[in-house]
Amino acid sequence: MNVLALHSVEHAYLGRSVLKGIELSVGTSEIVALVGPSGCGKSTLAQVAAGLLEPKSGRIERQYRRHAMIFQDPSLLPWATAAGNIAFGLRLARLPRRQRAARVAEAAALAELEPGDLGKYPVELSGGMRQRVAIARALAVRPDFIYFDEPFTALDVALRRRMQDLVIATCADAGLAGLFITHDLHEAARIAHRVAVLDTYGAGVLGDRPLPGRPGSRSEAQVQDWVGAALSRDPLFRHIHDVDERQIA
Amino acid sequence: MTARLKPPLATRLAERAGRVLEFLWSGWAGLAALFLLAAVWQAGHEAYGPFILTSPQATVAAVWQLAGDSSAWAVAGLTLQRALTGFVLVGGIGVSLGLVAGYSPATMRLAQPLITVLMGVPPIAWIVLAMIWFGGSDATVRTVILVSALPVVFLGAAQGIATRDRGLDRMAQAFGAGPLRRFLTVGLRQTTTTLFPALVLALGTAFKVAVMAELLANAGGIGGALADARINLDIATALAWVLIAVVLLIAVEYTLVHPVKGEIDRWRRAAQPWGVKR
Repeated sequence: MNVLALHSVEHAYLGRSVLKGIELSVGTSEIVALVGPSGCGKSTLAQVAAGLLEPKSGRIERQYRRHAMIFQDPSLLPWATAAGNIAFGLRLARLPRRQRAARVAEAAALAELEPGDLGKYPVELSGGMRQRVAIARALAVRPDFIYFDEPFTALDVALRRRMQDLVIATCADAGLAGLFITHDLHEAARIAHRVAVLDTYGAGVLGDRPLPGRPGSRSEAQVQDWVGAALSRDPLFRHIHDVDERQIA
Repeated sequence: MTARLKPPLATRLAERAGRVLEFLWSGWAGLAALFLLAAVWQAGHEAYGPFILTSPQATVAAVWQLAGDSSAWAVAGLTLQRALTGFVLVGGIGVSLGLVAGYSPATMRLAQPLITVLMGVPPIAWIVLAMIWFGGSDATVRTVILVSALPVVFLGAAQGIATRDRGLDRMAQAFGAGPLRRFLTVGLRQTTTTLFPALVLALGTAFKVAVMAELLANAGGIGGALADARINLDIATALAWVLIAVVLLIAVEYTLVHPVKGEIDRWRRAAQPWGVKR
């Protein structure tokens, strides 16, 4: 069963069509990675799917109960502590204050945040810690679907890997469904159950490929082999590293 | 892990007491600046003599004398009341209009030339008009304060909204916040960066314009007392009233605006190095 399905979705920005003919689905407990060259409209597609942007035409079916979103920029409220930021979604959901505290503690533990970090403001946290707070904020609302909009692009390699492991443990292996936007095929191969490729000009999803095994069970060698094979032999991935600066808004 | 969103009450009270003490301690720097001003003043007094510029000591003595006179308290209270009500008026109207303009580029484009016109007209012209409309009443003073300080508050609020971090709006929207909740939880808070300096400026303008309007409209208050001192060529009393007006402004600014700003901008202090905090 699909928890998210996009049918013939088109989106235009200032009269220019940036996405058209999008057909994409995400099944229950499935993480789908969406890859494509920079500027092809991956983030726009995630925002359209999440309801942040209105599509020009097409149909979006959301069968999940509640979604959350993790952005490239952690988008933390600078005036709120880590605990306040994690509780933000709960406050919007009008959860009673007493329950909020327990949920914040639960989500912070999942994101491996120390109790001492919860009283700190974002300016006092490192980039990795801020992203952990953003992940905890997403997990706190107990979503059954998470949109990941290139969440780890700005982090260094070691930190990115730790964050990927965190997502695998808390989302992929925990039965959550999600759409993971990335331009890093290696990241997609580590985290997702299936990889879909968006056209360079946003003119539809070119196709998708299932990944072997479960995200958490793949060895590094398996991931490397799959990425190597995809880039060298699979025509679907031929253009994912193309860069056209004019396309990048 | 302890399930609480805020630290225990005792910790919060201790933190608050610490912040109050730090705030009071920072008063030394302010006092140093005031004594520096007094030194320059004293030098001016010694250069030009008491008829042109009375000494700080004589001025303080004149203030002390006025402090013992209950009618002087009423005079200062009248100016304080006018300046504060004018400030509240300009704050309410300026912030409301500024917030609307911040969210609506069309309104901002329409308002920009009007703001330029308002800023271009000297306050003295408004005083003349207000005197004709309202006579020598509170309404004259409040009207002039409103017109003089409105552009600053309006622009402070409008810029705060217009330059807000749209990423936070998008995040709040992703977590289900509608336009009103986005404004209340994310937008309004971001206006403080530009709004508080504007409010401080508006408060200063309110006091200055109140005294000026009182003087020119013969509406009593500190401005009226200054007019009397001018007639009597009483430099010490004139400077004493100026000093009283400044003390009132400082008192209001540091008991009203700065504590509120300090409470709202607590997070900024977290990023400040130790030497800047103290």
